[in-house]
Amino acid sequence: MTIGGVILGVALGLVLLLWVVNLIRRDRLYVGYGVIFVLGTLATMTVLIVPPLLDAVTHASAALLPVPALSLVPLVIFTFLMVYVFAQISILSNRVMRLTQELAMRTARQDGEMKSPAAKQP
Amino acid sequence: MPSDMHCRSVVAIPAYNEAATIRAIVDRVRADLPDCDVLVVNDGSDDETAAVLVGSGAVVADHLCNLGYGRAIQTAVLYATRGGYDRLITLDADGQHDPAQVRPLLAEFDHGRWDILIGSRYVANQTYEAVPIGRRVGMQLFSALVQLTVGRRIYDTTSGLKIIGRQTFAPLTNWQFIDFHAEALVYLMRLGFRIGEYPITVATRSHGQSMYSALSHIKYPLKTMLMLVLGLVQANLTRKRAS
Repeated sequence: MTIGGVILGVALGLVLLLWVVNLIRRDRLYVGYGVIFVLGTLATMTVLIVPPLLDAVTHASAALLPVPALSLVPLVIFTFLMVYVFAQISILSNRVMRLTQELAMRTARQDGEMKSPAAKQP
Repeated sequence: MPSDMHCRSVVAIPAYNEAATIRAIVDRVRADLPDCDVLVVNDGSDDETAAVLVGSGAVVADHLCNLGYGRAIQTAVLYATRGGYDRLITLDADGQHDPAQVRPLLAEFDHGRWDILIGSRYVANQTYEAVPIGRRVGMQLFSALVQLTVGRRIYDTTSGLKIIGRQTFAPLTNWQFIDFHAEALVYLMRLGFRIGEYPITVATRSHGQSMYSALSHIKYPLKTMLMLVLGLVQANLTRKRAS
């Protein structure tokens, strides 16, 4: 791979990492999904940066010809799309969890008021 | 049950498929801590957990589906916040914690003016003797990470017995945590809250199984380490905004 290709790959990896980490921090991406994206991106960047690793992966994947750079573009787009989809799933999941908690709270508060009339109201 | 109006406490017990033990735990808590309210967060149990709690005197918050330990604790924090409680005491539902040990813990909590006090299995000896090797490595790793990031050693980052003060309720519900373990402790300590440990003993689990499956022994450390780093970032951002 050319130096320019490696730099572009690493730059894309860093953008992806920052995006994923920021999504997790803002509770927009479930940390379990985020860990997979972070580890996958770090592994890919390592393979890109260390030429013998790239050769080994190419050999292990039984590729006979070098992969054209153009074919990597859909892969990058697909990865970013995956993060977006998983972020949407996480947002929906968070809403369901919040709803479940609110329903539980509502019944618990009613239950609590019946059992502890002295309880202070917020 | 009337509550102590001067310092109101609620004991929260997250339960998932703990029908075999939960009633006995609630009865013991009510006997040992008659001035505390009792909340059971039934986290979508498939067994008879909800049924055995009928008539127990505990308030039950029923999650319609299983949300996990961290969310169950968060529900308890929300309940304590909205109920105007001063202290939230968390206990495991598997019977490993003796409710009688809560009383000295409460005394130390008040005496030491802690924001969170952890009932610690390891602080007395400061070793992890008799802990299985895999778990011991994890405990040492997270204990070391807490020390590295906030400069203070916490020996038992995964204890389910904690006393949580009202002042920490807001930060605990404003950000997300996995299981309210090392990642939550680092976040809160970085925000300036005082977290301490007090020695306790635990019984061997007699019913059910641990909430950690074989796969979670790989997932849990990875997720916790990532959240620990993000917790530091988030706490620093929060402090910057506040100042």
